[in-house]
Amino acid sequence: MSDFLDRFGRGQSMCHRWPPFAKLFAAIAMILAATCVPITHGPLVGIVACVIFFAHTLARIPLAYVGRRLLFFWPTLFLMAISLPLSQAGQKGWLLFVTILVRGTLSFSTALWLVNVMPFDQLLATLRRLRVPDVLLAILSLMYRFLFVLWDELDRMRTARSARLFRKPSLWETWRSAAHLVGRLLIRALDRADRIHGAMLARGWDGRSRWIDQSREDRP
Amino acid sequence: MTESSVISASPAVRVEQLSFRYPGGPDVLTNINFTIAPGEIIGLVGPSGAGKSTLLQHLNGLLPSKLPEFVGQVFNLPGPLPSDQVSRGQVENLPHVMVDNLPVARQTIAEVRRRVGFLFQDPDDQLFCPTVFEDVAFGPLNLGLSDDEVRQRVRDSLASVGLAGYEPRSTLRLSLGERKRVCLAGVFACQPSVLALDEPFSSLDPRARRTLIAILKQFSGSQIIATHDLDIVVDLCHRVLLLDGGQLRAAGQTRDILGNVALMERHGLEVPWRLRPK
Repeated sequence: MSDFLDRFGRGQSMCHRWPPFAKLFAAIAMILAATCVPITHGPLVGIVACVIFFAHTLARIPLAYVGRRLLFFWPTLFLMAISLPLSQAGQKGWLLFVTILVRGTLSFSTALWLVNVMPFDQLLATLRRLRVPDVLLAILSLMYRFLFVLWDELDRMRTARSARLFRKPSLWETWRSAAHLVGRLLIRALDRADRIHGAMLARGWDGRSRWIDQSREDRP
Repeated sequence: MTESSVISASPAVRVEQLSFRYPGGPDVLTNINFTIAPGEIIGLVGPSGAGKSTLLQHLNGLLPSKLPEFVGQVFNLPGPLPSDQVSRGQVENLPHVMVDNLPVARQTIAEVRRRVGFLFQDPDDQLFCPTVFEDVAFGPLNLGLSDDEVRQRVRDSLASVGLAGYEPRSTLRLSLGERKRVCLAGVFACQPSVLALDEPFSSLDPRARRTLIAILKQFSGSQIIATHDLDIVVDLCHRVLLLDGGQLRAAGQTRDILGNVALMERHGLEVPWRLRPK
């Protein structure tokens, strides 16, 4: 589960060998292109999609892998996009709906390409050299580190719940127990945050971020 | 701290009249007193909820959340504090814990945390950086060491726990035993004189447990180990403190305490296999 988003991050393709800045700027350029090209210019949108598709192929990232990750992303994107035409009684907003879907999909695919062509620590170091604020980097770093720890915790709770389900629950019961699970997970996450803070204090953390530029030294 | 309470000998850790409760809750610790000599390994045993983790957190100044204030004397850091300086200083809310004669107080907390290395029960709480290198380097960086010194300490610490060359590995992709050892490397990198270990052997397979025991045996400083694994306590610890209901119920030589059937049963524990009467 821990490699859900960046399974190919330490690959050996041509893209992986590019300098970190080149990878980051290539991704930013692709996202800019995806979000700036008007949706009505079909051929241009197609070209951008082909470039992103080609980038994945060049990095030897299987398209089935990208597709499966998109399946997790699409429901959220769909809900966001559909809210616009629905708010106007389905009369208007359909172009915006398609725009959000297409741009969201292309941008997400590009972000996925980026985290699969450079290890996450390298991405953080590159952002740090670009003077991205420490607080933002700390949030990204902790999110990457603990997202899957929390996911595993949720998984364990779901398994424990299933082990004690002796009949098919009604829709109401399913929703109620899902709400309990999420509430419980929130409390556990807060407890864990407390312990992580303690672990940081125990090693002398005083609120300031310090780091070493590892690119100065050859990686073992 | 009164003149009389300062003793001439210098224990690595001195805990005196320590009581603690969380706001609005019952007493978690009540009048705890003990010392740990330099180089001594202490086993902290007791049933679940006895207050072991809470006690360990006091040694590192993680508790109480509002630390006592030390007013008056300027500490002679980073060396041990001469006992007369402690006695001349004025302390609000009397610090109940002293490490190398250094009271655990707000002004001394950075030095106390350098001297007391704390290993958390769940390695996922302690490994919060994306790579092994960054995690082990976290403490030395906070000590203000130069980049070269930090790199050297990371290399040495990882080598000391048998994980040389693990620097670029992701902390997400390590086995439980490896994660515990990386946590320990992060603690060693600060070169502490005292280790406070909270359930270091829980959930480890026998090989990982043996590796960890061997690493701890090589550490020359003092250690206090909270654990339910009493066979390891027999193997590793010079003395034992038995905590139950937030009170120190017994303290003494490992075999005397853990071999006392009545005492162990009274506090919900079992005599370890190797000390059971044949």
